[in-house]
Amino acid sequence: MRAQLRSELLKQRSTRTNLGLFAAMLGLVSLAVLLHGLGLAAEQLGSASDQLMVLGRGEFLAALFAALLGTMSITAEIRHGTIRPTFLVSPGRGRVVAAKVWASTLIGAGFGLAACALAAGIGIAALRLRGIDVQLDGGDYALLVAGGAAAAALWAAIGVGIGAVVRSQVPTVVGVAAWLLFVEGLLVGDVAGVANVGRFAPGALGMAASGQDPDTLVAPAVGFVLLALYAVAAAAAGWVATTHRDVV
Amino acid sequence: MARTDALPKSDGGTRPLPAPKEGSARDPVIGVRSLTKRYGEITAVDELSFSLEAGTVTGFLGPNGAGKTTTLRLLLGLAEPTSGEALVFGHHYRALDEPARRVGAVLESNDLHPGRSGRDHLRALALAAELPPSRVEEVLELVELDGVAGRRARTYSLGMRQRLGLAAALLGDPKLLVLDEPANGLDPEGVHWLRSFLRGFAGRGGTVLISSHVLAEVAQTVDQVLIIDRGRLVASARLDELASRGETLEDTYLELTAGGAS
Repeated sequence: MRAQLRSELLKQRSTRTNLGLFAAMLGLVSLAVLLHGLGLAAEQLGSASDQLMVLGRGEFLAALFAALLGTMSITAEIRHGTIRPTFLVSPGRGRVVAAKVWASTLIGAGFGLAACALAAGIGIAALRLRGIDVQLDGGDYALLVAGGAAAAALWAAIGVGIGAVVRSQVPTVVGVAAWLLFVEGLLVGDVAGVANVGRFAPGALGMAASGQDPDTLVAPAVGFVLLALYAVAAAAAGWVATTHRDVV
Repeated sequence: MARTDALPKSDGGTRPLPAPKEGSARDPVIGVRSLTKRYGEITAVDELSFSLEAGTVTGFLGPNGAGKTTTLRLLLGLAEPTSGEALVFGHHYRALDEPARRVGAVLESNDLHPGRSGRDHLRALALAAELPPSRVEEVLELVELDGVAGRRARTYSLGMRQRLGLAAALLGDPKLLVLDEPANGLDPEGVHWLRSFLRGFAGRGGTVLISSHVLAEVAQTVDQVLIIDRGRLVASARLDELASRGETLEDTYLELTAGGAS
């Protein structure tokens, strides 16, 4: 298993895919936090919950990009055909999927740490620049960064699972992005009555895990545990799909 | 460019690795029994049976769509048969211990990530197979790609991609090589190198199965042929037997596969 994990980690760092995703994520985090931090009216940024919402853009985008890196770890192999030599050398396909899950989880955690730290830095700077009192304490920051890293790590695992089931790269990437950027927004947003269910959607659980929107979302620990269950379910589905279907 | 496109004129000697633990000397290297694969209504492989002994180079011939690639995929554990079985060294491929040290295979020459260097492609496979990193440099030298191994694979010519695929198959110093249409895209020098490499490989006791629909590229390389048509084995013969009966490989092939062509 360790050999397989080292192989997967080498695959992930030997192309520019992850570097590109990382750079795009940091760029979008900067943009989103600046737009919210500088663009919203001061009375919309007064409370701790408001400020967490702005800084939480780091967690949200980290979850999205970690999910993408997870899906790419398997769909890129299928797209370019490297899945064939991979499975010839390692015919235990379940072990390959497991190694992809662990490698993506590790790198996803790194994405989460970087995005949340950057979001916190830029967000605080933007608030101070406007003379708005920062209502957050050390515990809030710690939860934001640690919870964000955990959420991104788990979303990376979800991405591997979805990629292994769907196999085709473009639909997987579009589907994951559409879910996080659009569908979940509707589920947790202003549509009356839906939020009760929507807060158990995986994107909302990731936000909860990093302490965002405590009035609507579940408690951070609950968010983490439930998101971990999603990750286990997705990875298991990917494992079953990969071990039971012919290799394309 | 021309230099790197041409394959080296080496006999292909590689440094031996420790032998795999298990020696199932009595099993044929490849044993295929009543192998059948259906995709819905289509029967791609139909009750196919054959076996190969060590030290032989066998051409696996048939028109496009005859079921050659499907058979190889079944043999290599990438697809599951509908019925029957395909064994290598007496085992299902997926149950082989250290498969890279026993079987090397190239199914598609283009199975490369365009953004990854040839060296990293091989290193990732060597790590997974728990082979020493020195093997990567050895096989790169063997196929004469050591000079370009740091470049991203998208810059490689078709011939270089073919040789990188072969290098990956040779990483574990296997005893059986399975190659699907290996000469596609090779220039005459490359075909010549491949031929002498495969003869040398078989001469050292290795077994080779090459699929092809180009008779000319096979006729000078193989000891025996298996001809399949529409998923069924229609002939199996040694080339010297054909010659002694005054038949050519082309006559036999065309006669047996005429139904598929019409």
